[in-house]
Amino acid sequence: MRREKRYWDFLASFTGLALTLAISFSLVIALILLLSATPGKAIFAFFIGPFTNSYYLGNMLNAAVPLVFTGLGISIAFKASVFNLGGEGQIYAGGLAATAVCLALPAANGYLGGVVALIAAMVLSGAIAGLSGFFRMQWNADEMISSFLLSAAVLLIVNHFITGPLDDPKNNLLATLPIGPQYALTRIFPPSKLNVSAPFSLVAAAAVFFFMFKSHAGYEMRMCGLNREFSRYGGINVAAYLVLPMILSGALHGLGGGLMILGTYHATIEGYSFGMGWNGIAVALIAKNNPLGVVPAALLFAYLDAGAKAAMLNADVTFEIAAVAQSFIFFFVTAQALYGFVHRRRRA
Amino acid sequence: MTGSSQFSIPLIHNAVEIMTPFLLAGIGGLFTELAGMLNIALEGLILTGAFFSVVFAAATGSLLLGILLGILCSMLLSLLFGSVTLYLRANVFITGLATNLFASGFTIVLAYHLFKTKGVIQFPNIPRLPAFTVPSFLQRIPLLGDVLFGHNIIVYLTWAIVVLSAIVIYRTPFGLRLRGTGLNEKTIFSLGLNPKRYQLAGILISGFTCGLAGAMLTIQLAAFVPQISSGRGWIALVAIYLGNKTPWGIFAASFVFGLAESFANYAQGATRIPVDFILALPYLVTVAAMILYAIWRHARSPR
Repeated sequence: MRREKRYWDFLASFTGLALTLAISFSLVIALILLLSATPGKAIFAFFIGPFTNSYYLGNMLNAAVPLVFTGLGISIAFKASVFNLGGEGQIYAGGLAATAVCLALPAANGYLGGVVALIAAMVLSGAIAGLSGFFRMQWNADEMISSFLLSAAVLLIVNHFITGPLDDPKNNLLATLPIGPQYALTRIFPPSKLNVSAPFSLVAAAAVFFFMFKSHAGYEMRMCGLNREFSRYGGINVAAYLVLPMILSGALHGLGGGLMILGTYHATIEGYSFGMGWNGIAVALIAKNNPLGVVPAALLFAYLDAGAKAAMLNADVTFEIAAVAQSFIFFFVTAQALYGFVHRRRRA
Repeated sequence: MTGSSQFSIPLIHNAVEIMTPFLLAGIGGLFTELAGMLNIALEGLILTGAFFSVVFAAATGSLLLGILLGILCSMLLSLLFGSVTLYLRANVFITGLATNLFASGFTIVLAYHLFKTKGVIQFPNIPRLPAFTVPSFLQRIPLLGDVLFGHNIIVYLTWAIVVLSAIVIYRTPFGLRLRGTGLNEKTIFSLGLNPKRYQLAGILISGFTCGLAGAMLTIQLAAFVPQISSGRGWIALVAIYLGNKTPWGIFAASFVFGLAESFANYAQGATRIPVDFILALPYLVTVAAMILYAIWRHARSPR
């Protein structure tokens, strides 16, 4: 009986997702037909482009890595029913912290220094997010609003460090000085930028899954997310689970930002992570806050970005068409009406 | 702040102008909030209104027509947001994000298609917003003159909308049912009414006010700047919570934020503090205000 229910649930989510993708992709095709003078070329580049050579393919996979981390960060927070809307600032600050540590230790061993840099990224971003959790615990100040506002301020303050104290005078880009070559993560799929942070992101997804579903703290956290009053009655330290998920969420964002610097950019470039925080929320919600679902959801997002890049290079549409395509998916992906019809037919 | 300005306190005068988009978006968002829906789409709705109103104003040569069409586009997007959320039963959080993402992508895709640029688009030929000017002795009344006179017509329209909203929310059957929807949907059902209609109405109202908020941003500049909404929808959402979900509270909260931003604009030229820190100031002030308010409420609440 239980197995049968699982089967129907799976079928419902599968057909619902297929329907979402079909609607969203048709809307994208319609938009390209409307706007492009060479629609055939643009559509081909958008959908097939990312798979045509190893450079595009590798970069697409690499672009999914930070989304896995932000998606994991958001899913931890949301599973505990605390709302972290400050992902944008947290990932941006993480990259800056990692860069600053690498610049402060120019002669350190690459592995050791790299680990210190990533820890710094996690501590800084975890602290920024944790602050909002603390305000919530201490004075019941809405963490959703405070995390967003703090993040908006953090974005600007990080910009100050990029263009001010850590600015690279030799580079016309708005970027910090480059980090030492010993910190660069090993590339695993040349000529693309894919690096060892990709397999590491899979390990992180598995680790978050185990924490959430197989550990004592994860169980308590999920219970608090389901019903805080009941959890308090059950003797769980409810206040702690307002702060801990925020800290973990921020730390994962920071780790994602730090890995982007060590793996891809080798310097903090202004705006390098913009959009990753918001897309992380979408990735987590599409994955229904399941850490293992975060990986395919992140890949879907990276695919749309890569497709738009290919379409921009090979045809006459702009890159922002990716945002439009992603928004179509956002609109429909949680629409229960699209998932419901399998269930209705089953009852009939 | 010398006598050369026609305003006695430019800081206050500018704050009143700056607060207007926040206030408009906040008041619209209040209707959705009271109907029990989280409206994080304000940001995207403002951006849509901003883009289309200035483009249509330039195309038609009429300010009024441009603003009305801009508001219409913003309301159409809010209709999409509302109908997908309510009738396809989607998660309001993610459809709200979708609305913002759609607006930020679509305005640029369209700008690129129409004007072949992804940067600032200037419309030097659109008419200016008429301002309410009074004789200089009235304008120079301290404080009152700065708050009351010399603003453009949208500012006064906004005040009218605030008063009207307070009446609609607290003094009409529609307002009562709207609030009822937020408190308990089943009650509205038991009256033989459809709560979704009130929620959709709330969303459409937010589309209207956000469209006007956006129009004010671009028409004043006579230009469209990509992502010109720049977080105003989020600040408006903050204002709704800080303002305790009342029109007057939102008014006060928007004014605090307007004042902080007005001060930041002033301080950019006058001090040697890095610009980015000054730009961050309004956000930090708002967090501080929010936490002080939370502490005050926390201290008062019986344990």
